[in-house]
Amino acid sequence: MTGPLQQVLGKAAEFGGTALAKLQHTHVPGVGQASTTEPREVAAARWRAVTVFRDDLAGPFPELEALGPDLEVRMQPAPGDRGTELSARFHGTPTDEQVGELRAALRRTKQLAEVGEVLRVDPQPHGTRKATLQGAALEGAAARAPKEGVL
Amino acid sequence: MKAAIWAGVNEVAVEEVDEPQLLNDHDVILKISKTVTCGSDLHLIGGYIPAMRAGDVLGHEFTGTVVERGKAVTKVQVGDRVVVPSFIACGHCWYCSQELYSLCDNGNPNPGITEGLWGQSPGGCFGYSHAMGGFAGSHAEYMRVPYADVGCFVVPDAVSDTRALFASDSVTTGWTGAHLGGTKPGDVVAVWGAGAVGQMAARAAILLGAEQVVVIDRLPERLAQVRQHIGAEAVDYSTTDVVAELRERTGGRGPDVCIEAVGMEAHSTGIQGAFDQVKQQLRLQTDRPSAVREAIRACRKGGSVFVLGVFAGPVDKFPLGAAMNKGLTVRGAQQHGQRYVPEILAHMESGALTTEHLATHTMPLSQAAEGYRIFKEKEDGCVRTVFEPGG
Repeated sequence: MTGPLQQVLGKAAEFGGTALAKLQHTHVPGVGQASTTEPREVAAARWRAVTVFRDDLAGPFPELEALGPDLEVRMQPAPGDRGTELSARFHGTPTDEQVGELRAALRRTKQLAEVGEVLRVDPQPHGTRKATLQGAALEGAAARAPKEGVL
Repeated sequence: MKAAIWAGVNEVAVEEVDEPQLLNDHDVILKISKTVTCGSDLHLIGGYIPAMRAGDVLGHEFTGTVVERGKAVTKVQVGDRVVVPSFIACGHCWYCSQELYSLCDNGNPNPGITEGLWGQSPGGCFGYSHAMGGFAGSHAEYMRVPYADVGCFVVPDAVSDTRALFASDSVTTGWTGAHLGGTKPGDVVAVWGAGAVGQMAARAAILLGAEQVVVIDRLPERLAQVRQHIGAEAVDYSTTDVVAELRERTGGRGPDVCIEAVGMEAHSTGIQGAFDQVKQQLRLQTDRPSAVREAIRACRKGGSVFVLGVFAGPVDKFPLGAAMNKGLTVRGAQQHGQRYVPEILAHMESGALTTEHLATHTMPLSQAAEGYRIFKEKEDGCVRTVFEPGG
């Protein structure tokens, strides 16, 4: 990734990942969901949660433990026989990357508890990947997708 | 192996690609026997869902034979002839427990995209963009199927591949609309769109006990199929005022259940059609919702409108006032196929549900570009083009 084209495509991929991170905070009617943009320290301190469809959910949770000792984890029964709410947050103000890692770790933990495996998609068959800006941006967004979203 | 790929906006190509491999213990690999075009592919091919990467393998409606299986697969055997719903569902999350399989929590490895767009992520779908998981599709000689014990259904010997093929998506989608739209014995059901999904929604409504079913389209060959193969009434919207016609046919009430099986590239007549076309081309709206608007207008008070056609984003001039004041239930869904396939295969085996007439064109996979062109242009009476990778 050293030539001019590769550099431009790299920027496009970066843009794709950043755009995805911003998507839920847009205020365009019909897109995004935030009623307001909270101060960063408030948003970063929120509990991130998944509901795991098991009423016997119990640790250890290696995916979460791998994020270090600053992570606080709690569990409580979900209403209506929906299983167990598994929540986690960092002490202090985590970086966006840390929050992204937490989202991805919670999703993997849920899959391991419910299905016993984390669903993979790569590598898989594909044809010629043309070097286009739109394609690079999409690849950046897809690479970032497990770490983004509403959690 | 050969595969049909999306090569860019309005470009389909056939290329040599790597064969798929088992990635998870619950996977199987299928040798694809038949795989078919779907109207929703046209949204991808035309660039209306901008989450396709050049090189992505298309296709999400298929049958095949199991040639390899992961070590955690217990029900499906190598050699089984199977049909698989297009949506990928784990079978273990709360949504799967409620038989809302296309809402599976675990089937989409890219949840950040759809959560960002819609607030929540549905399950993944084969061959349907990186927003829906980025899974390789079925227009190939071989294909990986995750969660195989949940998604693979053995086809009875008496049911041909061509009949079973449509249990993968068209029939299951139609069945989802007719069932979750609340069709009851004695109901009048109207279906917008006489493509494969619309026809199958109409047939499902009949099998669920509807007393009168009316299908709306403009293409004479499809309306003829509705009369001949589905046993429903047919209305040509290009020459008939649909709302007036439905009111007249229902004693002034309007249909109890209205099923929209058209989607984001709906055609319509007059100023409304031009308005939606221009706004979509200018990207001022992503989707053209003319059939949904008409369904809401036509539906009886307190009735049900079910959106089966694929939409991706906001729509303009949505008649929310009519929906609210008429007390309508408006619901939508991708197909919950894993719930319905056993019932559908039983109807196929008994002969109550036939689909062969939908396969108006069959060709080898190497002709996929031409197959999609004929399908898109609805040339030569094309309803669906079936590809045979072994052909």
